[in-house]
This record gives sequence, structure tokens and C-alpha cells, in this order.
Amino acid sequence: MNLQDQYRMLGENVAKIRTDMMKEQLATFRSQLEEFARKHKSDIRKNPAFRSQFHEMCAKVGVDPLASNKGFWAELLGIGDFYYELGVQIVDICLATRPHNGGLINLQELCNLLRQRRKSDREAVSEDDCLRAISKLKVMGSGFEVVSVGKRKLVRSVPTELNKDHNEILELAQAQGFVTVDEVERRLSWTSGRAIDALDTLLDEGLAMIDDGHKDGKHRYWFPCVSSISTSVADT
Amino acid sequence: MQNLGDFKLPHFFNYPPYFTLQPVRDTREKQVQVWKELIIDYCRTQKIFVIGLEEEFPLFSNPVIERSLSHEAREAFLSALVSEGRAEWLGKGHRKCLILWHHIQDWADIILRFVKDNGLEDSVITVEEMRSGVECRGTELHGIDRAILMRALRLLEQKGKLAIFKGTSADDEGVKFSM
Repeated sequence: MNLQDQYRMLGENVAKIRTDMMKEQLATFRSQLEEFARKHKSDIRKNPAFRSQFHEMCAKVGVDPLASNKGFWAELLGIGDFYYELGVQIVDICLATRPHNGGLINLQELCNLLRQRRKSDREAVSEDDCLRAISKLKVMGSGFEVVSVGKRKLVRSVPTELNKDHNEILELAQAQGFVTVDEVERRLSWTSGRAIDALDTLLDEGLAMIDDGHKDGKHRYWFPCVSSISTSVADT
Repeated sequence: MQNLGDFKLPHFFNYPPYFTLQPVRDTREKQVQVWKELIIDYCRTQKIFVIGLEEEFPLFSNPVIERSLSHEAREAFLSALVSEGRAEWLGKGHRKCLILWHHIQDWADIILRFVKDNGLEDSVITVEEMRSGVECRGTELHGIDRAILMRALRLLEQKGKLAIFKGTSADDEGVKFSM
């Protein structure tokens, strides 16, 4: 055995010891996580804040409790079914509101509608839960996606791609639920052609509706996806 | 949510752009759809049979959001109902519209049921009695628009279920059932 071989064997040994140690640590960690999950099962199911923290903990050790419905986690917690059910209800709500909002809905409103629908259900649903359920839908190639516009999150259920200009208009519209061409030009420092172009596209996509009934005579472009119809009141 | 009397208005009624006829085809179709349902629902629950396009009508404006429907929009929504057989223009010029929340055929069926329930199979009754008499109270015939009632009666006449005969004045036309 030459020196080089000896080095190689030593190296392999060290590597193996390391891997074993890490495996052992991970196993301990997992079993503790399982222990934890078992102990706090009902909290995880009932308390959305707790549930969200548990998900974070799982993610850190590389465990995905939603990866399979048959897995240990799902069986232990029954949360696979929970998210599956949420997913189905989210699809339902997105389809039902599509005629009004063109397939783009405020996450907050989606969540409210979801809670209304699950009224009989005592388990609370958080926005975090919605996002998890949607990310599971995405895996199925359903075209559901969450887009961030300003501070808000919107859920998209149609394949429309929003470009940067559209995004900026939607962000501007969040303040009042609508924008005018003037406002877009002024606030975003755009030419009038660019503003009208982007607004026309949003109209064509069914994401905006035009309103020419205000007494100041200015056309308003309303965005149902940012101003929930159930809460919208008179504009001033 | 706003109410008109005991009628609960839908959410879209408070959303300004629904009062502007939408230029994009898909969006307009959805808009027309919700307005059609609102008009029919409202007329059915409030027993309204005729809408005048140039007259005040509670659904045509929403003071809360300061919006009202243009003449063009009113005509578009009612025309959509006409094309489905759920309304009819009265006369030329599209100024008045008869709202048929029941088709004429369905009104005819309601009359037949009324006749059976009251044992009038071989009787004579005036048209006026059918819409305001004691027997019709609590039925859908109570307060029915005279034009709609006559249309349904003529349909039944064609089928040989009854005969309409003229009285001495316009308001005492009679109906003889033969069922």
C-alpha cells in the first residue's frame, strides 16, 4: 500500500464518519420534530400561526409535510387533506369570481371568501395556508400563480402574463381601486401613449373595466382584482 | 349592502364601471349577463311589468355612487332580454319594454292551474276579475299586466281551451273556458 492509497482510505474514513454523524443528527432531529408534531397535533391543526411556524421548522430540516398524502406526516397530522380541500375550494372561488375580476384576485379577498365558505369549519385559515395550498396547485400545472404587486399579493388563475408596466398600474390602482390616464402619466412619468397602451391591454385582458360616469368627465379604469367588490363603496 | 325596499341589491350595483357599457366584448357580455338577471329578479319580486326607458326606474341609477345608466346602456340590457324572449318592446322606437319574467307559455300554464284550482272549467269570468278578483288573490295572476294576460289568453284561445268575447266596453271582455 503506497502513501497515496493510505491517504485516500483515511479520507474516505473521515468522510464516512462525518456522514454517519450527520445522518444520526438528522435522525434525532426528525424524531424530535415528529415527537413535537405528535404532541402539538391539535395546535397545528387549529391554530394557523402555529401551523405556519411548524411549516417553517419543517422546511429548515428538509421535511415537506405536504409532499405526499400517504406519508408519515400527512397521516399523523391529516394536513394533507386540509390543504387538498383548500386547494379545491380556491379553484372554485377563482372560477366563480373570474367573470368579475378577469382571473386575478386579491389574496386577502380570496382568503375572506374562503373563510365565508368554510364558516361551518372551526379551523381558521390564514393567508399563509392559502399560499401553501396554491403552491400545491402550481405543482399540478394548473396555471395558478401568486404575483406580488406593491405590498399586496394577487392570485392569478389565467395564463395572462403581466409585464412591468401593468404591474405598476395595478400598484397605483391599489390606493383607490381605479386610475385615470392623467394619474398614470403624472405618477409614473410616462408618455400618454405608453399609459393608454398599457391600460388598453388591461381592458382587453378583462382585468380592467372602464367608467365614464364620474361628474369630472375623466375616464376611470377600475381594477376588480385590487378593489374587492364586496367592500367597494362610493369613490369620492 | 344597499336595499331597494325589501329587495337586496347585488354587489356589482355599487361598483361604478358596471354603469358604463363596457367596450371589450367579453367584459360586456358578463356585464350584460348580470344586469339581465338583476332586471328580471327585480321586476319579478316587485311585480313590475313595464319599464319605460326614459322614465325614472330605481335600477337605472345609483345615487350612492353617483352613477346612472346611459340610454344606450338601458337599451342594450333590455335588448338582450328581448333577444332571449324574456322581454318585448312595446311599439316602435324602443321607449317601453314589457318584461316577461315568465314566458307567455308559462303564464298560460298559470292560468290553466288557476282555472282548475277554482273549478272554473266551464265558467265565464271577465278578464278584469282574473287579475283583480277575489279568486286571484295570492296567485301570480294578481295584478298581472293586462297586455300579458291578453297574450296568454289568446294563446289558450288558439289551443281551443277558451273563447274570448267582447263586452259592451273595453274593460269587461269575458272569457269562457271549455276544458
